Amino acid sequence: MTTSPESTSNDPVVNLQGIGLKFMSYHDSHPSLKRALINLVLRRQPPATDKAFWALRDINLTIRQGERVALIGTNGAGKSTLLKVMARIYEPTEGQMEIRGRIAPMIEMGAGFHPELTGQRNIMLNGALMGMKAATMREKSPAIWDWTGLSDFAELPLKYYSSGMFQRLAFAIATEIEPEILLVDESLNAGDASFVEKAKARILNVFDKAKAVVVVSHDLGLVRELCDRTIWLKKGRIIADGPTPEILDQYCAEVHGTATAA
Amino acid sequence: MASVDSPAITDDETATFPAAPVPMRISLNQRLASARSVIVRDIAEFHEYQGVIVNLVAQELQVRYQRSMLGFLWTLVNPALMMGTQALVFSRLFRGIGGMGPWEYAIFLFAGAMPWTFLASSITDSTTSLIQQEGLIRKIYVPKWIFPLARVLIQSITFTLSLIALFIMMWPLGATVSSSLLALPLAILLICMFTMGMGLIAATIHTFFRDFGHFLTVGLQAWYFLTPIIYRADFLPTNERWKFWLNPAYPFIRLFQIIIHESQWPPAWLFMLATCIAIGTLGAGYSIFKSQEKKIVFRL
Repeated sequence: MTTSPESTSNDPVVNLQGIGLKFMSYHDSHPSLKRALINLVLRRQPPATDKAFWALRDINLTIRQGERVALIGTNGAGKSTLLKVMARIYEPTEGQMEIRGRIAPMIEMGAGFHPELTGQRNIMLNGALMGMKAATMREKSPAIWDWTGLSDFAELPLKYYSSGMFQRLAFAIATEIEPEILLVDESLNAGDASFVEKAKARILNVFDKAKAVVVVSHDLGLVRELCDRTIWLKKGRIIADGPTPEILDQYCAEVHGTATAA
Repeated sequence: MASVDSPAITDDETATFPAAPVPMRISLNQRLASARSVIVRDIAEFHEYQGVIVNLVAQELQVRYQRSMLGFLWTLVNPALMMGTQALVFSRLFRGIGGMGPWEYAIFLFAGAMPWTFLASSITDSTTSLIQQEGLIRKIYVPKWIFPLARVLIQSITFTLSLIALFIMMWPLGATVSSSLLALPLAILLICMFTMGMGLIAATIHTFFRDFGHFLTVGLQAWYFLTPIIYRADFLPTNERWKFWLNPAYPFIRLFQIIIHESQWPPAWLFMLATCIAIGTLGAGYSIFKSQEKKIVFRL
């Protein structure tokens, strides 16, 4: 994985070659040392029926600067898994991956929030997790408090925040750090109406600044509105990749044709 | 399973997937080169994630201590009372243990029990460090070793502070201030390296075997009694005393006993031995952890 600060407009910012991710479904989800030792002593063979399946296979994907890509597909097609591979949360079993630029995963809001710490300290912690320097984060925090309108609560431990306040803060941090590559997993649809409107305006602004955006969504209207390129995943493989209107038409035809719920 | 999505349907092709591919024969040079690149990347990541490590350590210390000054006081009072009780009981039970009076015994006990407590609680903390940060590990990329590292750092700060504070409390009992105390930082550094190695191993095992904690508690207890902490090494007859040196923790404990209790500079060979064990354990812990690091997210 290489990170280079500058890249020309036509450089691929995300490059996946033959990515595959194999999951093992373990026979028992809580393996125990006790059982392993007993098996060893009694010379019993451990149950070897662990099933393996490929959550992703043969993923070849190049995203160039300026592209806004949507991942669509039915549940279990591997959309979120692919996003997590790009975010380096899951290490692929095979294939090559190259990412150029700072990634901000908006896969789940408030990752790394600590309830005992104050809002301000959580901003610092979150910034550090996203690879921001403490000084940069200190500069950015007034803007975050300003946007959330929560500056009165900056020194309050996070556990006293309401869920709405919590979410607003998480969203403001994730969008304030100006990520180069933004990975979004349908995390926008919550909060009161005024927040949703405000959030949408803000995220569009971030979309404009980011080098590349990858969105996972079931909301086809949103996909049509935001993304110029759509990738359709099925059973862990890419089955179509192209301009959004074209792919969405194919997708709708198939989904309605075979009566599979989206 | 760690996947958010429900598992993809296994079709015929994937169901008959062959087991792990047969590893290719890799030359020693290639192995060394790849090990070096792993270490180089970890050093780069250490630099990159320094802020996270500092934050993790600071947040824990803050939660523990800043809320009340009593927090730190308790971490002092607790071992002080514990050691006081032990000193009282053992000096009565085994009268004149190794020819030591109760006060001297208290200092001897303090010298050995403090580093032991650090070792044991660091290993215990590291064990659960990955599971506790499960939420984080599944949502964002972080080098996983920073979690056991943060635990050991927190414990080492607590250890150093209580060592100083308790030493001052022990002064009236006859703890001597001598130039040998200058050797303490090196002894602390060495036991930290050893502990970090053990912590990495424990954290790895615990991720794959969730009942490891039960074994660990018993194991640490046994290890404690096998190490000359509450008794002196001359408890065993001279011709059997070498057996204590089979215990990898003993050189570290001994360093502290010589420095604090005997007020002497530890011999160079003891430092050498401790250094070798520390580097070996850290290396072993690091390679075991790295070999499993990529699988951890799938097993949380």
